[in-house]
Amino acid sequence: MKRSTVLRTALLAAFLGSAALAANSALEPFLVANDDLASPSPANSLTFYTIAADGRLTRPVSVPSGGYGIAGGYFGFARVLVVPEGADACVYASNSQSKNIVSIQAGARKRVGAFRESHPNRTMATNGVGLAANARYLYAAFSGSGNTGTFEIEGGCTLEFVGNVHMQGRNGGSVVGMAVHKGLMVVAYGDGSIESFNISGGLPVSNGDAQNATGYQDEHLPDAVDITQDGHYAIFGDASEATTVQVSDISSGKLTPTVVYSLGAAWNSSSVRLSPDESVLYISNSSGGRVTAAFFDKSTGKVRKGCTSSPLKGFYTKFAYAGAVATQLATGTGGLLYVPEFGTGSQSFIGVLRFAATPTGCTLTETEDSPVAGTRSSALLSIGVYPPRPF
Amino acid sequence: MRIARHTIERCLLTACLCAMLHGGAAAQTTPTTGCPQRPLSNAVVKNPLDLTSTNGALKVDFTLRSLKLPEQFLKECYLYETSSGPVEAPTLRLNPGDQLELTLTNRLTFVPPAPPVGFLAHDMAAMPAPGTPHDPCLGGAMVATSTNIHFHGLGIPPKCHQDDVLITGIENTDPPFSYSFQIPPDHPPGMYWYHPHVHGFTTLQVNGGAAGVLIVGGMETVKPEVAGLPERVLVVRQEFENPDSWLAGPNRLTLNFQPARYRHRLPPILQMKPGVKEFWRVANAASQAFLSLQVLFGTTPQNLTLVALDGVPVRKSVEVQSIELPPAGRAEFIVTGPPSGQAARLQTAGFDTGPIGPPNPTKELAEIVATANAQEPPAFGGGNTIRKPRAPTSADMPLKARVTARRAMYFAEAAAGTNGPTEFFLTLEGQKPKMFTMSSPPAVVTKVGAVEDWTIANHAGEVHTFHIHQIHFLFLEVNGKKLTNPEWRDTVIVPAWDGVGPYPTVKLRMDFRDPRIAGTFVFHCHILDHEDGGMMAKIQVNPK
Repeated sequence: MKRSTVLRTALLAAFLGSAALAANSALEPFLVANDDLASPSPANSLTFYTIAADGRLTRPVSVPSGGYGIAGGYFGFARVLVVPEGADACVYASNSQSKNIVSIQAGARKRVGAFRESHPNRTMATNGVGLAANARYLYAAFSGSGNTGTFEIEGGCTLEFVGNVHMQGRNGGSVVGMAVHKGLMVVAYGDGSIESFNISGGLPVSNGDAQNATGYQDEHLPDAVDITQDGHYAIFGDASEATTVQVSDISSGKLTPTVVYSLGAAWNSSSVRLSPDESVLYISNSSGGRVTAAFFDKSTGKVRKGCTSSPLKGFYTKFAYAGAVATQLATGTGGLLYVPEFGTGSQSFIGVLRFAATPTGCTLTETEDSPVAGTRSSALLSIGVYPPRPF
Repeated sequence: MRIARHTIERCLLTACLCAMLHGGAAAQTTPTTGCPQRPLSNAVVKNPLDLTSTNGALKVDFTLRSLKLPEQFLKECYLYETSSGPVEAPTLRLNPGDQLELTLTNRLTFVPPAPPVGFLAHDMAAMPAPGTPHDPCLGGAMVATSTNIHFHGLGIPPKCHQDDVLITGIENTDPPFSYSFQIPPDHPPGMYWYHPHVHGFTTLQVNGGAAGVLIVGGMETVKPEVAGLPERVLVVRQEFENPDSWLAGPNRLTLNFQPARYRHRLPPILQMKPGVKEFWRVANAASQAFLSLQVLFGTTPQNLTLVALDGVPVRKSVEVQSIELPPAGRAEFIVTGPPSGQAARLQTAGFDTGPIGPPNPTKELAEIVATANAQEPPAFGGGNTIRKPRAPTSADMPLKARVTARRAMYFAEAAAGTNGPTEFFLTLEGQKPKMFTMSSPPAVVTKVGAVEDWTIANHAGEVHTFHIHQIHFLFLEVNGKKLTNPEWRDTVIVPAWDGVGPYPTVKLRMDFRDPRIAGTFVFHCHILDHEDGGMMAKIQVNPK
């Protein structure tokens, strides 16, 4: 294993200063979708869109991933990550059926390579491979085996496999959602339990805080995870028949009992994403075809009801599920919101919404030209944007 | 030599074991493990063996076994021993007022791989103390090898040894367990069915084929048009390629255990005499397939004379060209055989299960061959000593009864992904959605004599089916629209939500007037993996 302190330091600086660097870089803002195409369809690909100044998605370019996706799976998994590297960026995406991670140099839209575990397991990741990264490591949760692989991020959009750790929830689940913040990883197991890991040494080591989330008793099962910029709070989107999220104070470096917030009747809340300024929590009502925005107080970790969109255009006629939200901008409340829409036919879509705070709350309105069509996939669940938010 | 001899011995042993496991048709011996061979797909379809009550009683012994061979579908089989060997899932025929004495010996052995994430462990009421004999009426661990029987649709008491599924748990080491009950003298004539109902494992066992038909005699007394017609009993089951059968996936339908047209297989053959009417009784014993039954001559759907649904004669026989049957539904109808030389088939025409429901495509269940030499099924109406039943008529329907309570409830789901795991809920309005567990308190408490209107909504983008044990109900409305001719049902389709409009609803009039049904029982979605996944609730009916 090659480790260069100089390189690591450079990468760290690049990561932490990503937003500022991005603003000054020549790299145009883009949105990238993991098309997640599965055999026997044509091999998987990533579709890049240039984000115009007004937020429109333009000039789609398809880049072959060299492997196969799995056409669906867990809502809480990020199947694509955008990691700034100097004036450029690396895009990492999972090929779940091929059980590898493909990397693409964003500026050139050029595939660099595919990286896999050194001990390939034979179990297909039928619910996807979820990704999370800090400045130094990329983590891949394989839904088939229950292993989470650790890859060291090397220069030039390459990865080096470090090792695997098997993770299992208190009630038998495997990882369905994962987020990292510096030396801390927080996971949700889909069975109502959650756990944190110390990743300062690379490989995850349990903090011994595995627990059932508070909402477990009311059938609200944590799914996706997000962590505040200061690492004070972990926020869980729930698989639920309504909209609920849960917040855990992790300022001690360990999970504390979650606080449940009921935010409305919209169906399911499996994906959550904080706005760049952390004032708003965007929730995909994964099964209900809507998006909910809630107000988040980053100093207290409290969540307050905001607003829910109407059903997005084409719900149940053109798409069946909503993936995790990404924002147009890396500042403020993020500008326009992009929502991957898992198609009911041969095509997926990207919904576009506008968030606006009002004196009494907020509004979430789909733009006139939403949704954007054109990905090759019928199974879109994960997108990423450049520049990413600064945490 | 030594090695060679051992090899030969091993081969012989293996051959014997394989023959035994397959229950070789030629041998026709009772398998000590496993299940007998099932008929070939392209053979002529025969009725299941009839076991008919005599002198007011029917006494039968069943053994429930399982068999899973590599690359083959799982079998879970109710075996009845005959002089020529074991027979699977016979039809039980009784008249109103008859006594059924059924002894079940559970010898299930198949244990599937670990259940999916989120699947809850299920326990009956109590576990026996170490060293004490297990009492199936006191429950125990509910595992893949424990079982019980639900007599679907019968209006009999929810008690152990009768039709209880909440405390009855028969383990595979228990001695034979007896079911003993009377078909109520005023029970409607028609087609009912029996199947396991072990919470968490019903899907597995029914997918394996553990299901059979129970017919309450007397249909001809209220539907004289069926008297003397050749009577055909058809049971549609569903087999899954996934050996553990926990999850939906590639599957095929079978007709009386014969695989329907599936990939390169030819379909079963239904022989009929040209132009001759037959009385067909069809049960949908599939765990999740919805049927839209049609008989086609060429490509033209034929008229079917519908005489009964879910075991109850319809008020007025009607001509239809398609009959929708949810999982667990039954339909009884008259079919006219095609002219000689006319290509014909029985098919399910496909069913839209909703935007996120599983595919439910058109499938040919059987080819109908018109031939003068057809091996007709026996004429209906012989064999039983029929007592005139008190079949429900419109006068019996509590349409004008005073409604004592109105309740609203809904089906809902929470999924962690496009493939699950999914929590399934059946929740009364005002209560918190909870996945059913055996220790759940009753969601509804009422009393004998009650007549209630229940409105059941579907908050999910896939269809659900509502079924309640012990009683039938009047199917009054769909989406607020009154049905012209409400019929008695025990299982109904609750349409899928379209994602934008109001939630679809059905309105049912629940009839708790029969004092025999006092006790605690369940209502649930009869898509069995939904039921196993928590979409169930208890009702406690107190005595008057």
